[in-house]
Amino acid sequence: MNTKRIFLASLVALSGTTGLAGMAQAEEINIILCGDVVTPVYTRLFEEWTAANPDYPVAPELVGWGQCQDKVTTLAVAGTPVDIAYVGSRTLKQFAQNDLIVPVPMTDEEKAAYYNYVPETVTFDGTQWGIPVAFSTKALFWNKDLFEEAGLDPETPPKTWEEEIAFAKQITENTDAAGFGMIAKTFDGTMHWFLHWIYTNNGQVIDADGNIVLDSPENLAALTAFKDIVPYSEEGPTAYEQNEVRAIWLDGGVAMMHCSVSCAGRGTEAGINWGVAPLPTGPSAEGPGTLLITDSLAVFKGTGQEDKVIEFGKFLTSPDNQLEYELSEGGLTPLRPSAGVDTLVAENAYWKPFIDGIEFGGPEPLLTDYIGFQNVMIEMVQSVVTGAAEPAAALTKAAGELEQYK
Amino acid sequence: MTSTRSATIFAFALLAPALIYISIIVAYPLFDTVVLSFTNAQLRPTYDWVGWANYQRIFGAGNFTEIIIRTLVWTFFSVSIKMIIGMCGAVLLNAAIPGQTVFRILTMPPWIVPMAIGIYMWAWMYNGNFGMISGLLQNFGITNGPVAWLAYGHTAFWATIVTDVWIGVPMVTIYFLAAMQSIPKDLHEAAWTDGAGRFYRFRRITLPLMLPAIITMSLLSLIATFNSFDIIYILTNGGPSGQTTTMIIDTYKTAMGSRKYGEGAARAVVICIFVSIFCLVYFRAVRRLGQGEAK
Repeated sequence: MNTKRIFLASLVALSGTTGLAGMAQAEEINIILCGDVVTPVYTRLFEEWTAANPDYPVAPELVGWGQCQDKVTTLAVAGTPVDIAYVGSRTLKQFAQNDLIVPVPMTDEEKAAYYNYVPETVTFDGTQWGIPVAFSTKALFWNKDLFEEAGLDPETPPKTWEEEIAFAKQITENTDAAGFGMIAKTFDGTMHWFLHWIYTNNGQVIDADGNIVLDSPENLAALTAFKDIVPYSEEGPTAYEQNEVRAIWLDGGVAMMHCSVSCAGRGTEAGINWGVAPLPTGPSAEGPGTLLITDSLAVFKGTGQEDKVIEFGKFLTSPDNQLEYELSEGGLTPLRPSAGVDTLVAENAYWKPFIDGIEFGGPEPLLTDYIGFQNVMIEMVQSVVTGAAEPAAALTKAAGELEQYK
Repeated sequence: MTSTRSATIFAFALLAPALIYISIIVAYPLFDTVVLSFTNAQLRPTYDWVGWANYQRIFGAGNFTEIIIRTLVWTFFSVSIKMIIGMCGAVLLNAAIPGQTVFRILTMPPWIVPMAIGIYMWAWMYNGNFGMISGLLQNFGITNGPVAWLAYGHTAFWATIVTDVWIGVPMVTIYFLAAMQSIPKDLHEAAWTDGAGRFYRFRRITLPLMLPAIITMSLLSLIATFNSFDIIYILTNGGPSGQTTTMIIDTYKTAMGSRKYGEGAARAVVICIFVSIFCLVYFRAVRRLGQGEAK
């Protein structure tokens, strides 16, 4: 009897403590951020939010980049979703179709505040499924010393693919360096890399009606140009991803590469005499372009406080807060045009190509299985780079395979 | 009768912790994986029963057979090379040479270094622009320019095997060395007295007496190598163009990459069948060797 009483008392105590703990945490807003540290800007914003919303304190959790997406997904699939998490926007369609996240509709005014296509990176079936929080565009970096050594004007970067290939050839033939730094490793960057070529020739992967249009003449021209520059790239591009090619560029081993704004600081630090310009364009381009990659805050379904979490997400990414975050991070392209961006460009001219490319850029396509999409694109690029397939055949094959993911 | 029953109960009581542990850790997940392989489980919390559809899909896709063959070839070469180098290493370490202990210690680093660090080290060595291997080849005039070992299907395939061999050889060597040292010395001395040469003694005394160790090690290594994941995942992620994609990499990409849990489970079940066959061969071999020793 005593034993039974003690057992029941223990149960009551246990349920009481866990219940109280559960109640105390019920209204916390749990946010998963990727990386090693909560930035000072976010720390301040979390404090500001908590002060204004004491019933909804913010509980951030940091997860390393390698495991971040997996952890968020696993929690959601297991039925214990985090309230809000930092995810690649390309995952949103898959999350949405599996009923794991809630829509976060933007007003027309909110949409208009962003640069071109930024809302499209989170839009699927006419509504928005995430709040853009980080933006990346690319431009062409070139090594002026290698240009000069090869007999090229060091102040004149290539403006078209034709020039880019010709310059790369001249550099490869007249210096010890490769003309162009190419990425073709089995890595997501390879897919992104080729999308930059697509969006600098007015191409698309999936059109507004949801049709796969990968095998278009614009994309064929892009993949053909891609193939044509391989002989003037570093040896074995299928072994290199973005960071590895950047290391070669910083070491003076390649003369040109497509890179985010982070290459500016690194180039200066490494003592490279560099220049930066918009990505060279293909014959069908209407203007400078680039792939527009965004990361987003996704609000997960089933937490019971989705509306408040959306409010928190919008607070975190409001124009002023977002700009402060972008400027503190250094390598992020601003999501919205503003006076602050104008000042940034005026003070650091190297930002201009990264902003100019947005106008004719394109969003990362949203498909139902982004890893499947990625694998198809990588296989297509590698088959052309290694000479296993001709561009037209590779495009047709890839377009057929993408039908299952649209 | 009563004592027999209580002895049985006592035996089961002793076995119970292990049985419960195995049921929870091995049997249930295995059963659940088999069940999952007959469903269309993806990201969505609910899923439907699809019968053999996952198996039909994976065997209907041309590249799965190719992946199975590639996995078997990769495993065969990796295990064979590990056995040969391990045996050579054991013979050398068993020889009465000065500094024998130092050499034995020097064998261990690949095993001691955390596997991921060792693999990243190899990734750097294979790098065409900054890697040691490419640099040495250029310095000695063997190649004209950089060679990116992980850039091409055939070189990447062999590069992953070399790394797997590097990691696996110490264990094989130490195991063979222990087996070699358990061979009675008087057998070698008697053969030497009769005029038998080194190679003859190795072939007729050492090898036959080490056969149980060789078979055991080969099969254990076969099972471990067949499921080797880290090396390929870190070095090549299965590329380029899928040329280093083995069954375990393919399963991971399907289940954890594309979140097709049902289809991934079906692929995992196929792996399980292969490993079960290897285990059956292993247990049968162990039993035969035991019977041989008993005779």
